[in-house]
Amino acid sequence: MNQIIRAALHGLIVSGLGLAPVLALPGVAAAQPRPPAALHETMDVGDEPGRVSTEEVSITEGPYARQMVLYRSSEAPGTVVIHSAERFLYVVQGNGRALRYGIGVGREGFTWSGQVQVSRKAEWPDWRPPPEMLQRQPYLPRFMAGGPGNPMGARALYLGSTVFRIHGTNQPETIGQAISSGCFRLANGDIADLYDRVPLGTKVVIRHKATL
Amino acid sequence: MTIELGRAQDTRWRSAGAVACGIALPLLLAGCGGGEGLSSSSGRAASAPAPAGISRNALIGRWGVASFHTEKDRKRTEAEARAQCKQPYVIAQGPGDGVMMHAADDPKLYELRLKAGAGGKTYLGFEAPAGDPQDRELLSVKPKEIVARFVDPDVHARYGTFIYSRCG
Repeated sequence: MNQIIRAALHGLIVSGLGLAPVLALPGVAAAQPRPPAALHETMDVGDEPGRVSTEEVSITEGPYARQMVLYRSSEAPGTVVIHSAERFLYVVQGNGRALRYGIGVGREGFTWSGQVQVSRKAEWPDWRPPPEMLQRQPYLPRFMAGGPGNPMGARALYLGSTVFRIHGTNQPETIGQAISSGCFRLANGDIADLYDRVPLGTKVVIRHKATL
Repeated sequence: MTIELGRAQDTRWRSAGAVACGIALPLLLAGCGGGEGLSSSSGRAASAPAPAGISRNALIGRWGVASFHTEKDRKRTEAEARAQCKQPYVIAQGPGDGVMMHAADDPKLYELRLKAGAGGKTYLGFEAPAGDPQDRELLSVKPKEIVARFVDPDVHARYGTFIYSRCG
């Protein structure tokens, strides 16, 4: 049913775009009439700067909910291990256990692996949309100070000297998906929890493929 | 992969919807075109007066744009706006008496015009009464800096207050 409604809505949006010039009334007004309200609900798939997700939003159900799991690892307790393919981030606890978080990861072509350290931490980090996003969404500010509408979310852990980060998101529904440009995203409540557990200098191991 | 599928579905639905709308067009022109703002009555109602103290020339140009949510970030956001001229936002003269700009969440350019509102406030937006939810309120307009916010409280909460810093 929802799909039907969406189909109708999109139909209106598309045809509304096409009709706007036809329906303009010459001489009535210098500026353009308002487009149909539905038009403003269209945004590209991808990051949605401006969408609000509070610090309290966590994944509470399903495999991507934060949970203690059995986890065999030779890494020292406190180490962060990211399994991109599985969409999980582990904080090694020792005794064969780890705290596991669901994450969103880089889309195809934007995955990477390696070993780095947490080089910087920031609460409500600032955000600069990349040029390709500005092309798609030219109305965006070129800089957005940190806040609830910021795609970087509530916290960020900067990874070594790379451009990649573990950060929050204003799109918690994307956890478990591969749509980022190489960063690892958690729901804001989960990144805030992780942020408090992970000090500067923490070793972070990023694995893309499963290892035996 | 999931996203690509989603996009494909969206395209299909859009196409289907567009075709459906196209077929119905002769009968349902008003319904398909939809909304308020496209009818002549709303066009007449929309003729808000222009503000006395600000001309559209004050808006035309190239601007570095940055936004902030809390007052403590204003100063550094101003500095960031000044630093964004390498990827400026260009406000051009419109064919009417407005300027070409974007509305929130919409990648299409529209002609928007200055409107005088109650209490000496200045708005920028479509042909609708001043202070319409889709308007921007211009909080200050100086030769080198404009401060603006969207009137819609939800949009304002999402994007914050915009600083436009003139380039060059």
